Amino acid sequence: MARALRLLGLTLRWAAAHPGLSSFAPFVPILALWALLAASGLFPAVFFPGPMEVLRVFGTLMYKGVLPDYLEDSVIRLAVGAAAGMALGIPLGVLVGVSRRAHRLGWPVLLFFQAIGDIAWLPILLIWFGFGLGTMTFVIVYTVLFPVVLNTVLGVRSVPLELTRAAQSLGAPRFHILLEVIVPGALPNIVTGLRNGLGYGWRALIAAEMIVGTSGIGFLMFDARRAGQVTEILLGMIVLGLLWYFVDGWLLVPLERATVERWGLVAR
Amino acid sequence: MKNLIIRGLSKTYLDPYAGAHVTAIADVSLEVVQGEFVSIVGPSGCGKSTLLNMIAGFIPPSRGEILLDGRSVKGPGPDRGVVFQSFALFPWKTVLGNVTFGPKMRGVPREERERIGREYLGLVGLAGAAGRYPAELSGGMQQRVGVARALANSPDLLLMDEPFASVDAQTRMTLQEELTRIWQERRPTILFVTHDVEEAVFLANRVIVLSSAPGRVLAELPVPLPRPRVWAPLVEDRDFKALVARVLGMVRPA
Amino acid sequence: MRGFRRRHWRADTAYDRVVGGPGGLRPAVAFLVPLGLLLMVWAVVVALFQVPARVFPSVGEVALAGVQSLSDGSLLHHTGQSLLRVLVGTVLAIAVSVPLGVAMSVSRVASAVLTPLFRFFSVLAGIAWIPIATLWFGYGFGAITFVIFNAVFFIVTYNTLLGVASIPLPLRYAAASLGAGPWRMLTEVLLPGALPNVVTGIRTGMGYAWRGLIAAEMIATNAGLGYMLFLARDFYRTEVILLGMIVIGALWLMIDRLLLAPVERATIERWGMVRRVG
Ligand SMILES: Nc1ncnc2c1ncn2[C@@H]1O[C@H](COP(=O)(O)OP(=O)(O)OP(=O)(O)O)[C@@H](O)[C@H]1O
Ligand SMILES: [Mg+2]
Repeated sequence: MARALRLLGLTLRWAAAHPGLSSFAPFVPILALWALLAASGLFPAVFFPGPMEVLRVFGTLMYKGVLPDYLEDSVIRLAVGAAAGMALGIPLGVLVGVSRRAHRLGWPVLLFFQAIGDIAWLPILLIWFGFGLGTMTFVIVYTVLFPVVLNTVLGVRSVPLELTRAAQSLGAPRFHILLEVIVPGALPNIVTGLRNGLGYGWRALIAAEMIVGTSGIGFLMFDARRAGQVTEILLGMIVLGLLWYFVDGWLLVPLERATVERWGLVAR
Repeated sequence: MKNLIIRGLSKTYLDPYAGAHVTAIADVSLEVVQGEFVSIVGPSGCGKSTLLNMIAGFIPPSRGEILLDGRSVKGPGPDRGVVFQSFALFPWKTVLGNVTFGPKMRGVPREERERIGREYLGLVGLAGAAGRYPAELSGGMQQRVGVARALANSPDLLLMDEPFASVDAQTRMTLQEELTRIWQERRPTILFVTHDVEEAVFLANRVIVLSSAPGRVLAELPVPLPRPRVWAPLVEDRDFKALVARVLGMVRPA
Repeated sequence: MRGFRRRHWRADTAYDRVVGGPGGLRPAVAFLVPLGLLLMVWAVVVALFQVPARVFPSVGEVALAGVQSLSDGSLLHHTGQSLLRVLVGTVLAIAVSVPLGVAMSVSRVASAVLTPLFRFFSVLAGIAWIPIATLWFGYGFGAITFVIFNAVFFIVTYNTLLGVASIPLPLRYAAASLGAGPWRMLTEVLLPGALPNVVTGIRTGMGYAWRGLIAAEMIATNAGLGYMLFLARDFYRTEVILLGMIVIGALWLMIDRLLLAPVERATIERWGMVRRVG
């Protein structure tokens, strides 16, 4: 045990000394700790399988093609939901942001519908659409939509007055002001909204897949739960975590870096 | 002749916090002739920005009228270029993108407007920075872009509201000298608002002094100093110092 | 003078001038009127098109369901169950995560190593834990509270770590050179410095927790608002579903707008950080 602890300390220090690796390195000691705990027999193996076990199941599911299929289903649902949510949310947000009347009427309604939350819609959606793609799509679009709309509104409203004035006195017509000043000015908030929306949306997806799904990572996990397969549940969780890491790291962060950060706008 | 004529202009705000009426500008009349460089000075809060914003068309006057070239001012338009204290550059456009914004709005084809843009960037000494973003420039450079952007639209009247107030002292002097040079080369009509008396006298052909709030015209003084104007000799100049002292006496009565 | 800081300009927007002041729009009325309009639209549309109750209930039916479930005590029972779970899970999570976050952040090595780890788990927070929670704890209070605890715990710990890390080093030096010992440093610099992040974390975490709660109640229990909704679905009682949705929305709106958002505003906006919705 003492040796294991020393090893742990060493890895920790090594990880801290290599900041480039530091986003992956910390998982090494955790994996070690996990393996150690599982091997120690402190918990029954059915409830707490080790990493090797999860890896083995990963191999099996990959080989059978179940995991790639389910992953594809989930990712496509999320992508479609996000695209539709943005396509609806940004124009709606701009409208509510620039028009005082639309804002007065729309803002409370938006807040209320956002507060109901995606998952509470599931029962009535099931009555309307049954257990199918309609329900799932509605839930995800709904979830992504509101953070995007609300943050777009906020972004539009925080575009400095001077910038619109500058554009006006340079002869820009209304439409161009919208396109070249308001929307880019709101972009930091739009990106934040997209981030929040995806964060919520993808949790909603998992919930929807658990409750109504016939495929997808959420379904995989819940199906495994019915069969008492802890290993598959853990695998599902790891896949979900990694998936988000990649979406965030390969999509959202570069997007932010190329626009908001380059322009010197404060993000977050 | 494209003259600016202002008659009996007043502005009263409704203060949303206190619910009270605040008169910022009271019965101001003045004229600016084409090619003139006019400074407006006054103590802080006397309504200089209010006056300029009304001329720019950003806010409506409460009373009185503003005529540019015989036509009443109804809103903002490309005939009046504005240079802002906060620069107000579009952060998501490159320097060239900012400067060519006005011509683009007029429908000038890309090649032509980029030629115009580069010409004006050259005029303000920023030919090398065309591809950079505003956030990558110093404050002084940003305001040079602001000036170039307004000029590139060839406005009848250039409105400047304390454009050099947020740059450091040395840069400010350089920018002031550059502005007088640009004015001499191009002869735009300029209305320049500031609370800095030395700046007002240094730049202009004529200085309009406003009273403390609510702002009224206290005096109009011609500035018969020779051009080109350069700080080094001028700070020691007796006429310059006398004029500054006179205006200062009106802005801050003892 | 480099860059363009939007926060400096925020007070300069037309919106803030009109709505920002204390003499601006009366908030409650301005908020309720549009919702009242929505209610009227609902009433008119259902009556006009004779929408069958199985598709969408009328306002009267939902109101009746509200009165009934209030008088037989079932609405209060379910709402109470839901709120109790949220309260227990959240309070436990905050009580553990803030001290833990600060303690971990004191060591540079620990915080460098643990930050990505907590980031990873905060990404998983909430719903993803339902299957394993129900396996570990069985169906019922334990599993659901665990899901809520999880949603709040990882996000708040992660945000606390971030918060302490974001305290400018000169500030710590200043405190140290003014004679602050470790305890003083903790209470006077590290905790208040991390507070805006902590509060943001709590708000985000509770947002996930609330949704996780509803989902978990649909799956794993026999009481609570989520259960009430899901049960009503089995009998096609759309009026109960609508009632439940309205209660869920109104409750969260109150928790978020009357409790979390003001606290967040008090810490974050006051200290000049950027505001956020949703
Ligand atoms: N939108 C507004 N609503 C209400 N009052 C205003 C508004 N804008 C300006 N004021 C008031 O009008 C008066 C003149 O303001 P203005 O900004 O025009 O002064 P200024 O001469 O430009 O001052 P400074 O030198 O500080 O820039 C001030 O008392 C100010 O508080
Ligand atoms: Mg001013």
